[in-house]
Amino acid sequence: MAGLVQNIDLALPDLPILRYWRNRGLKAFEAQGVPTAKTEAWRYTKPRDLNSDDFILSVTLPIITKSEQTQKIPFACYPIIFENGILYSKISEMPSGLCIMPLIDALFMDIETQEQMGIHLDVENYPFAALNTYYLNQGVYIYVDSNVELERPIVLINHSSVGPENLFFNIHNLIVLKKGAKAEFVEYYNYSGAVKSRYFANIVNEIFIEKDAELNHYKVQNEAFKANHVALNMVSVKEGGNYNGFCLQKGANIGRNETKVLLKEKNASARVDAAYIMNGWATLDTTTDIEHLAEETCSEQLVKGVIGGDARGVFQGKIHIAPKAVKTSGKQLHKALLLSDGAEIDVKPELEIFADDVKCSHGAASGELDEEQLFYMQSRGIDREEARQLLIDAYLDEVISRLQNDEISEWIRSLIKENQSIIG
Amino acid sequence: MSSKHSNRPQIIDEGGDKYKYGFITDIESETVPKGLNENVIRLISSIKEEPEWLLEWRLNAYNFWKTMREPTWAKLEYDKIDYQNLSYYSAPKQKVAPKSLEEVDPELLATYEKLGIPLKEQEALAGVVAVDAVFDSVSVATTYRAKLAEKGVIFCSISEAIKTHPDLVRRYLGSVVPYTDNFFACLNSAVFTDGSFVYIPKGVRCPMELSTYFRINAKNTGQFERTLIIADDESYVSYLEGCTAPQRDENQLHAAIVEIVINKDAEVKYSTVQNWYPGDKDGKGGVYNFVTKRAACRGDNSKISWTQVETGSAVTWKYPSCILQGDNSVGEFYSVAITNNKQQADTGTKMLHIGKNTSSKIISKGISAGKSNQTYRGLVKVSPNAANARNYSQCDSLLIGSECGSHTVPYIENRNRSAVVEHEATTSKISDEQLFYCRQRGISEEEAVSLIVNGFCKEVMQQLPLEFAIEAAKLINISLEGSVG
Repeated sequence: MAGLVQNIDLALPDLPILRYWRNRGLKAFEAQGVPTAKTEAWRYTKPRDLNSDDFILSVTLPIITKSEQTQKIPFACYPIIFENGILYSKISEMPSGLCIMPLIDALFMDIETQEQMGIHLDVENYPFAALNTYYLNQGVYIYVDSNVELERPIVLINHSSVGPENLFFNIHNLIVLKKGAKAEFVEYYNYSGAVKSRYFANIVNEIFIEKDAELNHYKVQNEAFKANHVALNMVSVKEGGNYNGFCLQKGANIGRNETKVLLKEKNASARVDAAYIMNGWATLDTTTDIEHLAEETCSEQLVKGVIGGDARGVFQGKIHIAPKAVKTSGKQLHKALLLSDGAEIDVKPELEIFADDVKCSHGAASGELDEEQLFYMQSRGIDREEARQLLIDAYLDEVISRLQNDEISEWIRSLIKENQSIIG
Repeated sequence: MSSKHSNRPQIIDEGGDKYKYGFITDIESETVPKGLNENVIRLISSIKEEPEWLLEWRLNAYNFWKTMREPTWAKLEYDKIDYQNLSYYSAPKQKVAPKSLEEVDPELLATYEKLGIPLKEQEALAGVVAVDAVFDSVSVATTYRAKLAEKGVIFCSISEAIKTHPDLVRRYLGSVVPYTDNFFACLNSAVFTDGSFVYIPKGVRCPMELSTYFRINAKNTGQFERTLIIADDESYVSYLEGCTAPQRDENQLHAAIVEIVINKDAEVKYSTVQNWYPGDKDGKGGVYNFVTKRAACRGDNSKISWTQVETGSAVTWKYPSCILQGDNSVGEFYSVAITNNKQQADTGTKMLHIGKNTSSKIISKGISAGKSNQTYRGLVKVSPNAANARNYSQCDSLLIGSECGSHTVPYIENRNRSAVVEHEATTSKISDEQLFYCRQRGISEEEAVSLIVNGFCKEVMQQLPLEFAIEAAKLINISLEGSVG
């Protein structure tokens, strides 16, 4: 029994880069602690559960077979499989131009990776990213070479096979797309076993998109309903590069997916979409921070949520335009449906603009299902329950239909359908 | 035109390019020594011959204030205020309290004449407005009191109300903004010196607009005024507030409170044109404006409408709020904020929906020019019982020049599924197309910008009483002068 900071043996304790990050992470986490209601960035999401001292760091692999996990993905892919936060297997035969290896191996072998690691990760402002780097050990390094276009998506699955213990794990990935590369990266977090387990998944992705490269990043968070899932995606995009992010959250008690995108050079662009659907007592938090640091950059965001039960949907979105970053455009829209009396929506869209020749807008709306639409469908012989489902599906589909890979969007639609019976 | 103008509160300089109200009135003042402690509070209270309960309330506020910390969450940067280096009371010296206007110091009357505030009733023929003029820490004159008294309307300075209507004041003072509310409100509660008091009795529609004109004159003083407005059942009042201050190199502190209580079926319209000295081009001097304004719609079907035009002050920290407690109550917030040079403004509103079928509307227009920074910060909160609540917010910002900043930070918290909450915000610069269109029709660039800016603000300006609207439109043009090209 111990708190989140535990003294355990990690691989390669003497490697300077690892020692540096682990020390810095520890210091930064101890300085910040678990966020409280007074932490502005965590104003609406209160990870109180993470103050308890019964989390046990996940160190050993459970016995599973790889095929079990890949079966869950209905399309051809390059799979990387984690079990309880520990790398279990990765594809061995990689197409040319793609390299996937454990992050600490890459840090051990490659000076360039060492230099790239954490460049934009100011752990002093992100308590859980700090904690993650303190345990820097698990995670992969993904490298896509110049002008390589991957045929299949890379799929990272973390499966939590949970028992009576409250496990705690950290995954830290570093993804590099060289000039002109094109790739798709899917993250899928799921579980089996005791549904009531309060495990804690703490994820950090560092993503580097170089000139004219393009990454489509899809994430599905479907953790057990008492679990905690906190993720930070730190993305930097260079000239002409493009980041397309999407995240579906439909599990966990506290689920937070935070994405920070740095549009560093001219013509860099980003789309950061998200959807969430939940009931129970969950808090699902989508936080984004898009920094337009150069001229002629553009970003777009559409976030839609459906909340029932006593759940709470949180959206915090910030668009920052640096001085001189002119001719930029930033658009943001958040919409939420409240299906029950106990549901709550907290929204904080934020514009921070220091340049004049810009076009920025944000919008937020929340309300319940439109009675008129329900009536229209009922008057055409569709029963009320079915009409509700159709409307909810259509509501979220506005985001899903923007995804560029049809196989993936079909898969995501099927995952949303799993939830339908519980939303009421 | 000009003769007409002299009859109404004139907040702006009609011809000039400079801050016309920067002059200093040379008048002998009674100022308490610098510093803040219990003795100063006791002294203020005794000068004002206040009852025991009020002194006690002030001291409670002061003791609480000592435990508070100055808020730092706003996007404002200013030198630390030394609260011990300020004088908390300053009043023009008078031997006896003036019974009528004739007894008021002519120097003071001249000041208000220069500012265009009509203190002589017979002169104000067109656009009748009753005025309460507050000079530093005291109210110097309130006009049209007899006429208002006929209808049962009480309009006087708050110091007077404490003596003449102690029950009303005691019942409502601090009931909307308690002294524990925030740092500046707490400071104000401890040291407030004067302000206006308005009571509109049941069923009365106030026959004229009421107005308070605030003027800071003395050096190194803070102005802490407190306004209390009570609108009883089925009443209506429109209230205007204007402010100016002399041009000084030091920063002056202004921490005010406005409390409004609105009962069943009553309506209050509160309009502000704030033109405190904004400091010079390099950001030297200017007023620090920290204001807490809040209206409680206590009764069913009550309505509050805030309209503000903010052009002055070096630093503005101001969030007029609406507590929509009564069923079917309505809150409105219309704001134009203009910052130029090195001004900073962090302003917005709070709409707290508590009653059923409550609705609120927020229209905020921000214009930043020069090296100024401006933030809209607002909260819309729908509590679980506020069935069918409705909110619409629109925050638009216009940027003029590449060195200014404009920020929007709305907080939206919805806990009722039948509530519909909508928020929209945009930020852009004046479009080249619009400018080009004007230019090709022979309108100069500066005029074109002013035309476009006025169009941008129109939705809010329409809400101002006519007397104010014309002044405010001119004020906007002057504030932006020199920011184009």
